[in-house]
Amino acid sequence: MLGFLILLAVLVPIFAPYNVVQSWNDPGAWTNNPKLAAPEWSEVFTGKHLPRTALMPYNGEPGGFDKVRISFNVSNQVYTTVVLRSSFSFQADAFPSEIKMFMTTVFGNVTGTQIKVFWGRPDGQEIHIFDANPSVRAPYENTFSLTGPTIKDPSYAVYNSIRDWLILKNVTSETEWDALFPRIGGIYQNPPKAQTMLMGKLDHSILDPQTSEVLKGNYSFRIEFNGFTATDDANARAVVYGTVFGLAGTDFEGRDLLVALLWGAPVALAFGIAGALASVLIQTILGAISGWYGGLIDEFVQRTADFYLIIPTLPILILLGILYHLGIVLILIVLVVFGIVGATTKVVRSIVLQVKEEQFIEAARSYGASRGRILFRYILPRVMPYTFALIALTVPAFIFLEASLSFLGLGDPMLPTWGHILGDAYGQSALFASRAFPNGMWWWVFFPAAGIIFTTVAFALLGYAFDKVLNPRLREQ
Amino acid sequence: MPVLDIKNLILWYRTRKGPVHAVDDISFALEPGQTIALVGESGSGKTSTANAILRLLPKNVLRYEGKVVFDGQDVMEFDTEEFRKVVRWRGISMVFQGAMNSLNPTIRVGGQVAEPLMVHYDVDRDEAADQAIEALGKVGLSADTARRFPFELSGGMKQRVVIAMALILKPKVVILDEPTSALDVMTQTNIINLLKELKNTEHLSYIFITHDLGLASELADLVGIVYAGQLVEVGPAEGVFVKPKHPYTGKLLASVPRLRSEAAPDFIPGAPPDLTDPPPGCRFHLRCPVSFEKCGWSAPEFIEQVRLLQILEETKNTVPAIEAMTAKGAQNLLIKPVANGTVAEFAQRLTSFIAQNQETYRFLKSVESVQAKTKVVEVKLYESTPPPLLGGDWRASCWLLAGAGS
Ligand SMILES: Nc1ncnc2c1ncn2[C@@H]1O[C@H](COP(=O)(O)OP(=O)(O)OP(=O)(O)O)[C@@H](O)[C@H]1O
Ligand code: SF4
Ligand SMILES: [Mg+2]
Repeated sequence: MLGFLILLAVLVPIFAPYNVVQSWNDPGAWTNNPKLAAPEWSEVFTGKHLPRTALMPYNGEPGGFDKVRISFNVSNQVYTTVVLRSSFSFQADAFPSEIKMFMTTVFGNVTGTQIKVFWGRPDGQEIHIFDANPSVRAPYENTFSLTGPTIKDPSYAVYNSIRDWLILKNVTSETEWDALFPRIGGIYQNPPKAQTMLMGKLDHSILDPQTSEVLKGNYSFRIEFNGFTATDDANARAVVYGTVFGLAGTDFEGRDLLVALLWGAPVALAFGIAGALASVLIQTILGAISGWYGGLIDEFVQRTADFYLIIPTLPILILLGILYHLGIVLILIVLVVFGIVGATTKVVRSIVLQVKEEQFIEAARSYGASRGRILFRYILPRVMPYTFALIALTVPAFIFLEASLSFLGLGDPMLPTWGHILGDAYGQSALFASRAFPNGMWWWVFFPAAGIIFTTVAFALLGYAFDKVLNPRLREQ
Repeated sequence: MPVLDIKNLILWYRTRKGPVHAVDDISFALEPGQTIALVGESGSGKTSTANAILRLLPKNVLRYEGKVVFDGQDVMEFDTEEFRKVVRWRGISMVFQGAMNSLNPTIRVGGQVAEPLMVHYDVDRDEAADQAIEALGKVGLSADTARRFPFELSGGMKQRVVIAMALILKPKVVILDEPTSALDVMTQTNIINLLKELKNTEHLSYIFITHDLGLASELADLVGIVYAGQLVEVGPAEGVFVKPKHPYTGKLLASVPRLRSEAAPDFIPGAPPDLTDPPPGCRFHLRCPVSFEKCGWSAPEFIEQVRLLQILEETKNTVPAIEAMTAKGAQNLLIKPVANGTVAEFAQRLTSFIAQNQETYRFLKSVESVQAKTKVVEVKLYESTPPPLLGGDWRASCWLLAGAGS
């Protein structure tokens, strides 16, 4: 178990370099991922083939949009037309979670620059789904959502286009549509679920997302751009977001949870081991000094330990976290500072009091070894095995502390630690069943929790293994 | 000139029960190349004597005094640092009782043997390792032993390692505290032979602590018999082992089982005395088969012995009936008879009982007079002081000898 963790900790930075983690907090870096997608393999539980994400990148990139651009001059007026086309094959048994289109546009100061978007279906139907005027210039992207547009968004027209199309095809009537999807002042009170209509079989069942059946086959985008200067240009890309993603799914920002899970291992290990190592070693040395020298030093160390044992570390950390928003290194330092003496000091002291009476210590004194030499060459090596066991058993405590702090939102805000993800999941009510997620977003909670448990158990077992080495009576069984 | 001359060494420990007189006025001298065997029962203060010589004192020392003259210098006058530098290991080294436990389990044997060297001299690691291997060679261990850990060695090998460690600084005197107990007889013999050999090649003097008289006779030139924190007899081995002067030594020799001997080994009745409150007079008088008037019975001891007679099968019917006994000081006690006759009659019965039984129950010899008072009988015991350690090269502390000598 531990070997696996260490292997993971070593390999992760190689496979997923640190900049992945740096981009964790950059929402722009994750726009190609579906939000709140379950892991891909979870489809084996549903028995259905669930949609993956289909990317149609910009023209020029492999699988990208085809592009035709013509610019011509009619009686001193320049017309520029760009036609962009792309298609994708859709074979899943469920509808995608979202369909989005992104366009970079170059246009002059002439009003009327226009974008027309057509949606082609496997059954030969083509829907003119919306028209729009570009609002931002390259390199920024105009974003259009086909499945969840807002009223301010030109692609809001998708709903009306679908309505007109369905009425034209005699699938529904004006009155039925208006009854199903009432509007007040042109605003849909309860907008239809566009993907179930854009991609459903063309019959009456298409109206209800529950009954609409996926029409499998090739879908296409056709985009026409009309501008009025010679430099006008347009490029498009589109994403058909699936409902499953990767091995570990995604969170509410579309972030790949696998990255966080993998990065959680080295972070947890580093944090736990560094914290446990530092605090247990310091406590051990102070405990040994306390037991070996005795007298006032002993009294001082032990009373300080008593004091430290009483002051509650977690509340203090929470307070500090609220006041200063500590990074992970500072959290570690605070934890170690509050743990330079404590339970281990007392345990080690009692072991030392015992070791102190052993004959080889007296032998060492008799040939004139100094007190310091005896402490470091005779006593500490004797205590070390216990210390290793203690370190192994303390690591989980540190991992838990970090997780609790992150969960409370007081951990390192930049690092995707396991506790941090759990905190996010909790913030988004991940475990509540909803219509979209009848089982809740279990993957969001399950994996980080499993990571914490796995690591904790691994170290606990390591600790017990040390225990067995040290305690011969346990070894016999 | 003796290499080690110990005079009136005293080491008392403080305990809750009172002071433990573990070393109570011990003196002996050791010439270069000589071996003195300190023999005594468990708890008689042998290890304490060794510790006192090397000034290895526990925290609860109550009294520590006397003279330890090593190589002509009174090292008791040295301060801690000087003592550490001159005496510890360089002058006098020690093989501890239970040597198995005096090896640091976390250090390899080579490092362990070199430890005294590293502590005392500024030698580098390689030099120290070479010397350690040389020392291991002297005690008959191969060079690769140096790379092993103590737990990989047998008891005999560990013992050799500890001896190598004691020799590495080339001391003049080595204290061997029961170096062969817990070893089998073959290994014991091997170690003793090794010690004999080393004594000659390294010009050592040994203080050999043991309770095995056989081993003591193998190695010793001098023998010191330790009883209750004191030397009761010290003299040349040939003499002491053949014709012991002190009754305790005699008993000790008689208790050694002998091959091809019909007689069952003798034993010493009773237990070694409690060192928190050593018996007055001769400390051995409670167990001595030949104790007599001067040996130092005290009133409380007398009362205890009488009580014993009252329950003993052979005597319980003949002891005059007693209602109560009280000590009055150390030498006087009052006995109140059971009221069936006059006090004078009781005194008479008591006197005749004493006369009849004093050869068997020797404490009765300590009675100086029995006097009938109005209601009680007052018994007066002989006064006594501890017997002096008398004699020239062969001294013993017993009133029998003092009487014979004067
Ligand atoms: N640190 C101490 N504090 C109090 N009493 C002690 C201490 N060390 C030894 N004693 C007591 O002093 C007496 C002499 O002990 P010592 O170890 O010298 O005996 P020993 O002759 O070496 O016995 P053994 O043959 O069993 O080794 C014993 O009664 C022991 O209980
Ligand atoms: S003085 Fe001599 S005879 Fe008397 S008790 Fe002691 S050893 Fe025995
Ligand atoms: Mg002893």
